[in-house]
Amino acid sequence: MSAALDYSRQEMMAIATGREIRDGELAIFGVGLSMLAGFFAQANHAPNLRSMTEGGVYGATPVGGLPWGIECNRISSNATSFTSALDALGFLVASGRCDVGVIGAAQVDKHGNVNTTGIWDGEIGPHYRPPKTRLPGAGGANDIACGAKRYIIMVTHEPKRFAERVTYVSSPGYLDGGDSRARHHFVGGGPSAIITTLGILRPEPGTNEFVLNGWFAFSGIEEIRANTGWNLRVSPDARLIPEPTAEELANLRKVDQTGALRKK
Amino acid sequence: MTSKLISLSEAARRFAWDGMQYASGAALPVGSDAVIFGRELLRQKHKDLHAIFHCNSQQLNLLAAAGAVTKAECGFSALEVFGFANGLRRAVENGQLALEDYSNLSMALRFLGGALNWPFVPATVNIGSDLQDRSAFAPDDYPARSKIPAVVDPFTGREFGALKPLRPDLAAIQVTLADPTGNAIMLGTEWSRYELSRAAKKVVLIADAIVDPACIRQFPNLVRIPDIIVEAVVHWPFAAWPQGSPGMYDIDESHMAFMNMALATEEGTAAYLREFVESYDDLDSYLDLIGRDKAKALSQGSSSFLLDPYRRWILPPEDVAGLAAPELAA
Repeated sequence: MSAALDYSRQEMMAIATGREIRDGELAIFGVGLSMLAGFFAQANHAPNLRSMTEGGVYGATPVGGLPWGIECNRISSNATSFTSALDALGFLVASGRCDVGVIGAAQVDKHGNVNTTGIWDGEIGPHYRPPKTRLPGAGGANDIACGAKRYIIMVTHEPKRFAERVTYVSSPGYLDGGDSRARHHFVGGGPSAIITTLGILRPEPGTNEFVLNGWFAFSGIEEIRANTGWNLRVSPDARLIPEPTAEELANLRKVDQTGALRKK
Repeated sequence: MTSKLISLSEAARRFAWDGMQYASGAALPVGSDAVIFGRELLRQKHKDLHAIFHCNSQQLNLLAAAGAVTKAECGFSALEVFGFANGLRRAVENGQLALEDYSNLSMALRFLGGALNWPFVPATVNIGSDLQDRSAFAPDDYPARSKIPAVVDPFTGREFGALKPLRPDLAAIQVTLADPTGNAIMLGTEWSRYELSRAAKKVVLIADAIVDPACIRQFPNLVRIPDIIVEAVVHWPFAAWPQGSPGMYDIDESHMAFMNMALATEEGTAAYLREFVESYDDLDSYLDLIGRDKAKALSQGSSSFLLDPYRRWILPPEDVAGLAAPELAA
């Protein structure tokens, strides 16, 4: 029985994210966890996935463990095409061709806006000031958030990361909720899910506020609500998300050779 | 055409100045970047740089840690799997460096706009977020109107953003192979080196290897940077170290982590500058610093087969020395 399987919360998050990705899609992954989730999907149920990195590396699968970056040798050893940022993020994402992207977040809010720029002590205020803790910045995530048909946000589920409103919008979700995203005429549709170490949140139709859609075998509604910084509502169709199967776990670990997801 | 091969120190002397807008090779955070040129800028005590880095790399991390940068524009400001860039982070958090945030596509678009001499580049990204509304260069302009101003599409009447084109004073671009006049082949993703090479007012190539011009004529489709836009060529193997260069060498994982940890503090940075910036005299002593055995091991990575089609044209060091630009050979 799968209940006997030993797996980490990070592995569950990666598998749940991978399950969102469908065979044949054109997909873009960032470095780290999102790349593992994407290549897991390819190894597991989406053999015809057309994947790319924002660095313009196409047709590659990682060699020797988790790639150090979107451009490194571990992702450059069996590529079928090397191009550029303008090609990957522009011609294939900003154009509206890309089906799905996966991005990470330091902080996410109830409308799926993502902050990866910095942590301030309170609001920034009208005068822009340096963050108390500087984070990596938007990278390609802003471009994926604006251009991909849908995207998935992967994030560790902790109260400090789940805010009513992010301090700084690095990558736009549904902004102020409702149809507020529409005023910017983005070709991309917005975030389809926030997948965490505790469960899955999806946007409620109409309000575009994220509500709880599923919990994992090791978590539950109360734990998730307690770890969310806004009054998280529970969707009427919320349910227990199936545990990883032995096959899923084996396929994930083939991709995660160095055990990056098993450390926590 | 005559050779443009000059030494690293000569290239920095000739093309760098305090306060310049300096772009590195459309920096890749852990990959191809002219990290060695940043070391040389510090050896020559340059300061007050306005850094244009598509992404932060160990070069910007080092320059920022050493206090040589007052302004920077970036799409991504960390080191991917190696984490936050401690030197850059410290300079931003203590207010010594103003970091203007963009995204990875908008930086490439701004190079493209500079290359084409466009007045602005229409932006369908970065709008609606704080990348548009917040400016570190104009902190009181909120919501910012000077950074990515709104512009109306004359065809549809819809509002989008206007990105400011980039025309850096100098770009030091790391390439895998170059011939002595500056025709270059890049293995791995070119990221935005193609656009940057046309946007920058001056381009210096830092090449891992120098090839016979016959190599260039064999693969002209792969020559994405032609010599007519290049001022000078510097031959410097392991120019991206501790970062990697596809086909040439892998990332030096332990030095990546060691360097980033050192740059987290002023004392660590001072020690790093002593040991890994000011300590070598020439290419030979630089390679000794990396460690010959380590350099050899790093050269035998999983992507080294990418270099195979070009190996027969790579010139040995003694031949490269004989090809130095005439005014220096004298």
